Amino acid sequence: MSYLLRHLHNAFHVDHAIQNEEERVTIIRFGCDSDTSCMEMIEFLMKVPEKITKFAVIYLVDIKEVPDFNVMYELYYPCTVMFFFRNKHIMVDLGISNNNKINWAVKTNEEFIAIIETVYKGAKNRWGLVVSPKDYSTKFIY
Amino acid sequence: MDKATLADSFLADLEDLSDDEIQDEEVAEAGEEAVDADEDMADVPILNYDDLDSVAKLQKSQRFHDIMKKVDDAMAIGAQESSFKGTVVEDDPEYQLIVECNTLSVDIDNEITVIHNFIRDKYRAKFPELESLVLHPIDYSRLVKQIGNEMDLTLVDLEGLLPSATIMVVSVTASTTSGKPLSEESLKKTVEACDRALALDEAKKKVLEFVESRMGYIAPNLSAIVGSAVAAKLMGVAGGLSALSKMPACNVQILGAKKKNLAGFSTASALPHIGFVFHTEIVQGTPPPLRMKACRLVAGKSTLAARVDFTRGDLSAKIGQNLREEIQKKIEKWQEPPPPKQPKPLPVPDSDPKKKRGGRRLRKMKERYALTDMRKLANRMKFGVTEESSLGDGLGEGYGMLGQAGSGKLRVSIGQSKLAAKVAKKFKEKSYGSSGGTSGLSSSLAFTPIQGIELSNPQAHNAFGSGTQSTYFSETGTFSKIKKAF
Repeated sequence: MSYLLRHLHNAFHVDHAIQNEEERVTIIRFGCDSDTSCMEMIEFLMKVPEKITKFAVIYLVDIKEVPDFNVMYELYYPCTVMFFFRNKHIMVDLGISNNNKINWAVKTNEEFIAIIETVYKGAKNRWGLVVSPKDYSTKFIY
Repeated sequence: MDKATLADSFLADLEDLSDDEIQDEEVAEAGEEAVDADEDMADVPILNYDDLDSVAKLQKSQRFHDIMKKVDDAMAIGAQESSFKGTVVEDDPEYQLIVECNTLSVDIDNEITVIHNFIRDKYRAKFPELESLVLHPIDYSRLVKQIGNEMDLTLVDLEGLLPSATIMVVSVTASTTSGKPLSEESLKKTVEACDRALALDEAKKKVLEFVESRMGYIAPNLSAIVGSAVAAKLMGVAGGLSALSKMPACNVQILGAKKKNLAGFSTASALPHIGFVFHTEIVQGTPPPLRMKACRLVAGKSTLAARVDFTRGDLSAKIGQNLREEIQKKIEKWQEPPPPKQPKPLPVPDSDPKKKRGGRRLRKMKERYALTDMRKLANRMKFGVTEESSLGDGLGEGYGMLGQAGSGKLRVSIGQSKLAAKVAKKFKEKSYGSSGGTSGLSSSLAFTPIQGIELSNPQAHNAFGSGTQSTYFSETGTFSKIKKAF
């Protein structure tokens, strides 16, 4: 695969990953690799981890393998991206009336990195909710 | 001009020909007849000398013969180890011979130039364009010998004398030339001169060959770097090892450069500053884009080697070898591909706070957008007093305390910058009323609605009167505890 896109294979690993990052934002992509929109997402994600390695880390979790979080995080979509910082879930206002997660494949690397930077800055200032630089209200899926 | 000064004038002005018309009817040495062949070409003042010997003296001189004989002898002996192991190389007779050879080769060059001029002038009547097509004197002489008095160049075989492109150009030009065949005597003299030039060229080659064979003994380090042929040429042109070692490296690079850039030939492709050094093995072995760089490098190191050789510091050529290896290593390094580009991770956001700059320039820039005193006054309002407004009756922008009576200021000026305030501080004692900065139509009196005429108290703006400037930090402020006596 690419640099640093690690898979987490059980719930313990996932918890560990979320709790043990002190300095960086933890980004977890819940989904399954065989799904097309997930694959799209991963294509776009290839270059990103190298660039953001100083302030964020990305993990991949297959929801079929690790079903423990499906109910808790309402993972009903094929691919979901969530942000955590120091064991706290960071909400992002994307204009889609669901601040908890990103449910679709973000189109460009630059957009995604911008969201991650905003999350990092807000999380460092101890904000639980950050406002995404780009509004996705009309772009959501349709 | 009489014939006695003729020779002197030529020898003195070898580089630029004298423009004087010269009559040369009698010749002392050879007693040949003088033929005036230049009456037709009156527009171009040419040298009208007839006997080559009066100008080209070297070939008949004693010195020339002596040196050539010595060279032949030495060549016959063959290369041998010199029995002279003294520290001062200049005392060695063979070294001295080589020094003489060097100066001789320079002289031969000059002589060839003179003879070339002679041939050219004579042959101009026959084929004027040839001199601008073929620049090299020896090539020109060979051509003249081959063509002779022939008008039709297709009958002449020029193969081997010139590159084929030049042959073509020459043939084409010859078919449209404006020249006429030479007279029998002219032709004879011209061909003789050509022979002499070629003989001189041969002599020069012999001399250089001799020097080259002795190069390993004279300048081992230099020959280790550039090769003995180029080393011999460099020494020949410089006029000896001592002269070569005294030159700076940039001059050594230029030695042997051809300067002939006649009009009509493009100079775009002609590489600048190319001398013998360019034709060494090392430089020719580098890829073309790096050649100039390599040229400079080799010139520098070979100058060092020449200096070592001059002082006989290293007879085993070890230094030369080392320098050569150094040069080759450097050239290899230049050809290495650049290191691959690492993708750089983005920096942590907000990790490095923005560098705030300060200083005079920034302060002056900030002044343009700073809050002025006028604006400050306009922002504030007095209690119980309606403010004036731009459109009257409370409409439009309010003027606040601007222009109100009793504010201590008559006219609020545009505002002094802080720097100007510092200057004003120095001269504050001198400012009574308006200090000449206002126009001539302004007066110190002001008409106010309440008191009629108001006169401003110049001391008042220093005290608490103006609520806009904090008096504690004011630039023009005084001690606050000491009460001023009014």
